[in-house]
Amino acid sequence: MIYDIRQTTTYHYASSVAYARHVLRLTPIDRLGQRVHAAALDIEPAPIERREGHDFFGNRMTWIELDQPHDTLSVRVAARVAIKRDVAPEATPPWEVIREAAFASTDLSPNSPAHYLFPSRQVSLDPEIRAYAADSFSAGRPVLDAAVDLMRRIKADFVYEIGATTASTTPPMSFALRRGVCQDFAHIMISGMRGLGLPAAYVSGYLRTAQSAGEEQLEGAGAMHAWVLVGCGEDVGWRGLDPTNGIFAGDDHVVLAIGRDYADVAPIDGVIFASGGQRLEVSVSVTPAE
Amino acid sequence: MAGQRERASEQGGIEPLLSGYRPPPGTFDEMVDREGRVRAHWQPLLAMLARLGPNELSRRFAAADRHLRDSGVFYRVYEDASGAERPWPLSHMPLLIDGAEWQALKAGLVQRAELLEAVLADAYGPANLVREGRLPAVVIAGNPEFLRPLVGVAPAGGAHLRFYAVDVGRSPGGHWWVLGDRTQAPSGAGYALENRLALSRVMPEVYRGLKVERLAPFFQAFQAELSALNRQDDSRVCVLTPGPMNETYFEHAYLARYLGFLLVEGEDLTVREDGVFIRTVSGLKRAEVLVRRLDADFADPLELNARSRLGVPGLVQAVRDGTVVIANALGSGVAEARALLSFLPALAPTVLRSDLTLPNVATWWLGQTRARDEIIDRLDEMVIASAFLGELPGHGERREVLGAMLEPEERTRILEQIAHRGIDFVAKEAVTLSTTPVWHNGRLEPRPFTLRLFLARTSDGWRVMPGGFVRVADDIDARAVSLQRGGSTGDAWVLSDKPVAETTLLPAPDRISITRGTGPLPSRAAANLFWVARYVERAEATLRLVRALVSRVSDSDEATTRVVVQICSLLRAWDAVPNDLPHVRPVLVASATLQGSDLEGALPYLVGAAQSAASVIRDRFSPDAWRALTDLFELINAPIDHPPTESMIFERTNGALRIIASFSGLAQENMSQLAGWRFLELGRRIERAIATCRFVREFAFAKLDGALDVLLELADSQITYRLRYVMVPAAAPVIDLVVLDPNNPRSLAYQLSRIEAHLAALPQRSGDGRLSPPEQIATALAAQIRTANATALDKPAFLALEEALMKLADLIASTYFTTHERAEVRWEALG
Repeated sequence: MIYDIRQTTTYHYASSVAYARHVLRLTPIDRLGQRVHAAALDIEPAPIERREGHDFFGNRMTWIELDQPHDTLSVRVAARVAIKRDVAPEATPPWEVIREAAFASTDLSPNSPAHYLFPSRQVSLDPEIRAYAADSFSAGRPVLDAAVDLMRRIKADFVYEIGATTASTTPPMSFALRRGVCQDFAHIMISGMRGLGLPAAYVSGYLRTAQSAGEEQLEGAGAMHAWVLVGCGEDVGWRGLDPTNGIFAGDDHVVLAIGRDYADVAPIDGVIFASGGQRLEVSVSVTPAE
Repeated sequence: MAGQRERASEQGGIEPLLSGYRPPPGTFDEMVDREGRVRAHWQPLLAMLARLGPNELSRRFAAADRHLRDSGVFYRVYEDASGAERPWPLSHMPLLIDGAEWQALKAGLVQRAELLEAVLADAYGPANLVREGRLPAVVIAGNPEFLRPLVGVAPAGGAHLRFYAVDVGRSPGGHWWVLGDRTQAPSGAGYALENRLALSRVMPEVYRGLKVERLAPFFQAFQAELSALNRQDDSRVCVLTPGPMNETYFEHAYLARYLGFLLVEGEDLTVREDGVFIRTVSGLKRAEVLVRRLDADFADPLELNARSRLGVPGLVQAVRDGTVVIANALGSGVAEARALLSFLPALAPTVLRSDLTLPNVATWWLGQTRARDEIIDRLDEMVIASAFLGELPGHGERREVLGAMLEPEERTRILEQIAHRGIDFVAKEAVTLSTTPVWHNGRLEPRPFTLRLFLARTSDGWRVMPGGFVRVADDIDARAVSLQRGGSTGDAWVLSDKPVAETTLLPAPDRISITRGTGPLPSRAAANLFWVARYVERAEATLRLVRALVSRVSDSDEATTRVVVQICSLLRAWDAVPNDLPHVRPVLVASATLQGSDLEGALPYLVGAAQSAASVIRDRFSPDAWRALTDLFELINAPIDHPPTESMIFERTNGALRIIASFSGLAQENMSQLAGWRFLELGRRIERAIATCRFVREFAFAKLDGALDVLLELADSQITYRLRYVMVPAAAPVIDLVVLDPNNPRSLAYQLSRIEAHLAALPQRSGDGRLSPPEQIATALAAQIRTANATALDKPAFLALEEALMKLADLIASTYFTTHERAEVRWEALG
């Protein structure tokens, strides 16, 4: 499947911003099952300095510096991405084997499970979430099988509700509320798996937008989406599970960035010198190319 | 024979000191051996102390405490919600280390520094140690201090570690063990300097007589090394501090002063395309070397912790570009992990091609199945701690637990935690620390201690500070020693068998100004100096009003009563007293001004604001000036008896005015007259000029008997007036003296001429040779007053002057200070 992705992000500032620095993680890259045919990032006003590069996890980063007073900052993404993933359930080792292998890893590269085992900025480890997750991980169960079960339980037990949480809600908070959005469900699933000593990563990206009234719209389409990568050992590698929709991340999912949690992949980070507030406007569309 | 007799008599002399000194059985004591005999290297010290006698000793130790208190040495206690500073707890007995033993210790420390540097370079570089299976990936990747944006970045200057500290303790067998490594931003060296200064001052003959190795050469070498890393002549080495709320801020300010470096906060720095710059009153100045006392994760909100308000946006980028040397490099905190202790002994032969001569406390990382199974059987002999740093996961604020002391329930829980995530834990052998004497209730008593030792990288390799920072437990049985949880600190004296070079510890005051020269003044520091002075001056004007008020309340004639009402109205207009307070009780108005803590014009607020502005630029005040501000704060906040009497208020007001006079005098006499002093002066002069205009408006035109007396009193000009005019005050001569006379240091004319001179001496921002906007106003005002006639100035003229002065203050702020606030950009749009 080939998609055209359009995203416009605009910050409106209450007072003029004299100086700003930002990092942007808004450009998709080639990954397993994903090829980027074209991608462009258009920034308004034009930065005095702009650099392109990659972060530790391999995500594309753009650094910008703005030194002219401005009231709005607008970032437009245009990309064409081809997706082809096999998402059938498959045989994986028992989860205890995955855990011991991760503990003993001799790999420090971004792909190593070692990076995705620990609490991170936005994912704390919580005994209650661990206990919830543990119900899916019975002794000797294959890791992917157990993770899919956990994903489905989260889909069944939690209410999708925009506005119930914010970008800084912690996993224990949304877990107690039993509601949230994609970020919360991904964080909860990650927290539960890491609590058991299993590697789990956070993915930010896009979902295909429904093309007609009759087509079922997935939760999280029309905005940026988030899901989970589960480490299934060296032979199988990582598999994407979307707890918001209770499905494998397949041909409807376009990967933008991968990290330990939301903080690693925030689409825009920055520091501005200004005295007022800010308002954010985002529009996203992901449509199959003709 | 003679020698023997002498030793015998010395031994006899020290006996009273030793009576009752009983180290606990099974421990090593630094001073006495197992049989209770004084070790050879302690004998000269004890003999000297015995000669001084217990009374003299107590007197001297008290003098040392006083010195520390007067220097403002403190330690901020985190657990105290008010952020209170607590007095520095000095243990007065130095720990003595024999010269030969020191040589061995030193070699072990240098070896360890080299090993940790290699581990860091590998972790942020090729990761060979991980790939070869010598170090589990998890031990690096699980560390919160492993900063991924720094992976693949070789630090400018070629080293991750430049200042390194090691905590050591001595085992019952008498061997030194490493208890932990400090590689992030080690604290304690500045405190060690202060302790040394305090002890050597009160026991100069003892200090000289013992041939104690001096600390100064170590710091000079460190300073020289960092200064040499500057590639451009105008660059300044900066000490980057998180600010005055940090527990060791005193030390940051102290070391910056001592080393002649510039103390900066993140806000003072900005990253531009070609490097890091300091925002100063003369524009942007390059910074190429930072001594980092800010935890690395907070150092850059763009690429590290986005929540940080303390860092410098873009600093990681500057590091990647190689334009800034940071000591220690961002990410070097990885080497502090406790889990590393279990791998270092095995890494040493591979990395250094030799074994570690200084062992660390036996440690097992519980992420390995074999270690885990073994430890679970021996839990009672072990201390369980976090594998990295900080608290034990899931055990509140506890840093470690002793296996033998665990309640059954806790034991089950920790075993379950270890079974799930052994990677989070280490087990360490429980160590019994050696004891060293402390002076307690007039005699010596043994106490367990740990010793922090410091190393600095120089062009000739690692250099070890010959001395250390000793932390002594309060309790004889304490196994863990922490300053945050009580205990005291002490100095370590390394004894030399050769004569030691007499290097002065502190540079002479004139040397500081030479190294500083006209060094850059950060805009933030300038703003704070300006505001300290304005608040202190405002406090002074308010105190003078209070004094004028209480000295008149006992007169009940009608004219005086009207003058009193006039003063009360002004205090109300200044927001020093609540609006609803009746005039009829001037004493109440006066005491409300002195004590109404929530009003912005009352003294507690003014003095608090002055002190808090001063606290963020503490390195710029002499200890005496800082002391004066603290005294003022304490005096103003001390409770007054109820109901307050005139004489109590009078006494308090006079006391406060005396402290302010001494603060102003100290600033005048003890500060180098550079840009910083000028901003302090500008603040004072502008505030005084504004208050003078206001006083003239209120009291020169009131046509009330006694009003002009009040004006003369407020302007502190009664004596001059009486010398000049043998008559009751009249409006024109009073205005001439208080406003126009350029020789009266409290006149408006005098303030304006000082303001003009200070502005002219400040760095020019435009560079086109024209007067700056503040100068334009100041010059016009000064000219107006120079040419004015006392009879021609009316009330509206003074209001106009007052408004022009306020505009001048705003212009100084917008020209020289940073006015924008910093905010993070947030994202709130997820599906």
